[in-house]
Amino acid sequence: MVRPAVAIEFDEIGLTFTSASAAPTVALEAVSCRFEAGQVTAIIGPSGCGKTTLLQIARGFLQPTRGRLQFVEPTERRLADRPPMATVWQAFNLFPWLTVLDNVAFGLDLAGVPRAERNARARRAIAAVDLAGFEDRYPRQLSGGMRQRVGLARALVMEPEVLLLDEPFGALDAQTRLILQEQLARLVETSGTTAILVTHSIEEAILLADVILVMTARPGRVAARIEVDLPRPRSVATTHDPGFAVLFDRIYGLLRDEVMRSMVSGEGG
Amino acid sequence: MRRPPRLEEDTAALPPPEPARSRRSPLDDPRVLGWGSIALVLIVWELAARLSAVSPLYLPRPSQIVAALVAMFASGGLALDLGITLWRIFAGFAIALVFGVLLGLWIATSFRARAVADMFIAALYPLPKVTLIPLLIIWLGTGGPFMLTISFLGAIFPVVINTVLGVSQCDPGLVLAARDLGATPRQIMRRVLLPSAIPSIFAGVRLGLGVSIILVVAAEMVVGKTGLGARLYLAGQILETEQVFAVLLVLAALGIIVTKVQDAIDVALGKWRAE
Repeated sequence: MVRPAVAIEFDEIGLTFTSASAAPTVALEAVSCRFEAGQVTAIIGPSGCGKTTLLQIARGFLQPTRGRLQFVEPTERRLADRPPMATVWQAFNLFPWLTVLDNVAFGLDLAGVPRAERNARARRAIAAVDLAGFEDRYPRQLSGGMRQRVGLARALVMEPEVLLLDEPFGALDAQTRLILQEQLARLVETSGTTAILVTHSIEEAILLADVILVMTARPGRVAARIEVDLPRPRSVATTHDPGFAVLFDRIYGLLRDEVMRSMVSGEGG
Repeated sequence: MRRPPRLEEDTAALPPPEPARSRRSPLDDPRVLGWGSIALVLIVWELAARLSAVSPLYLPRPSQIVAALVAMFASGGLALDLGITLWRIFAGFAIALVFGVLLGLWIATSFRARAVADMFIAALYPLPKVTLIPLLIIWLGTGGPFMLTISFLGAIFPVVINTVLGVSQCDPGLVLAARDLGATPRQIMRRVLLPSAIPSIFAGVRLGLGVSIILVVAAEMVVGKTGLGARLYLAGQILETEQVFAVLLVLAALGIIVTKVQDAIDVALGKWRAE
């Protein structure tokens, strides 16, 4: 796999939704941050702080109303094109009328990859998320955790340079979540892809990320940038590491203030 | 595009009620009940007609009707009339299906098309289509084009309306996921919006085909020299009551076949919705 070489830079990015009937909503005020190539960056913050909005801006699905989004090749010190990206969604967003195999092969099919090759690649991706044998099932026949593994395979099969994870385990129960976090940590480590993870879970952020950005309540800004220097590979055992507790407390302290603030201003959720 | 709130995907969808393993009596079997009640009605009818003095001119016996039916098929060209009627229904319906789905996709995805179409649909949909028969005869005469048009008009509105409905109810998350995987607007339409609308389109097909059948038979009764409707009308004119019933029987059988075929297609299309 090609090492991703492009960093994503947010320079004073803001987004204000205007509507004819209501006062404009400031989703993001002025966010400046950098997502390093090959690293996992977690974004954590209170509900409604614009975490998902930030992800959509990086993906190019939302246009910021101020500031600049840049893709930079750090070694060459020059701007690059948007690298190939793929998203894993909180609501899975699998196509219910397609089998697991066809869901995973969907993106390759759109790109015109011949059937034999796309099916072979899809089968490898399905095996990588431990779903071999379920290729012909429909999403409805799978549990939530299995559905999200299909979602993960569907994104990874595209061999993205940037993987966008939008609260990928938010809809899952606690046990499934732990297992998938470990699996994702392993997949991301081995693929070497750049990843941006939006999450509510401090634990998830520490387990998966190299860098954690803590956001303020709406309007969203980056309140703190925290490097996670715990050794890899990480697993549930990592949560017993003294370093884990220190990081957890620090992030919790920052978040608690923000959540309280958002509750007082009536925008918490 | 209208985006109604969607229910969260329910992982805990209950399985359909399990049919009871052991039945207490054959009367619990819907097939037995369905066919049995029809047989019972026929028997009572046959006996009542034989035992009472009602003239067969008013109420022929089922056995006489079956005899008339066999005779009409054997020598009376009823098979040809059936074929002609089926052709008129399905040719017009097929055009309406293709055209209606394309039009529905366009209306559902274009703000302007929708604004224009809303007015036309509001004006034309509630209009009983049989009222268009006189006008269509003035324009088209009573031949093939007229029959195709009347069948087309019967099916087009339910198909368009249900296509628009189905596309509008498509989960926006699926569209986003397809965009994320690199789909062009065309690919989104063909690979996401259309398949997600298929259950709704099929509901429209059911309604539309029903209206097409009604309209074609009604039009045949008004103008036709051939077709089941014409057969029915002519038999009534000369008081051949068994023949009237025989044609009604063919129409009823057609209704059953169409409904059952649609049920089967529904099951095949709905594989991914089950469980």
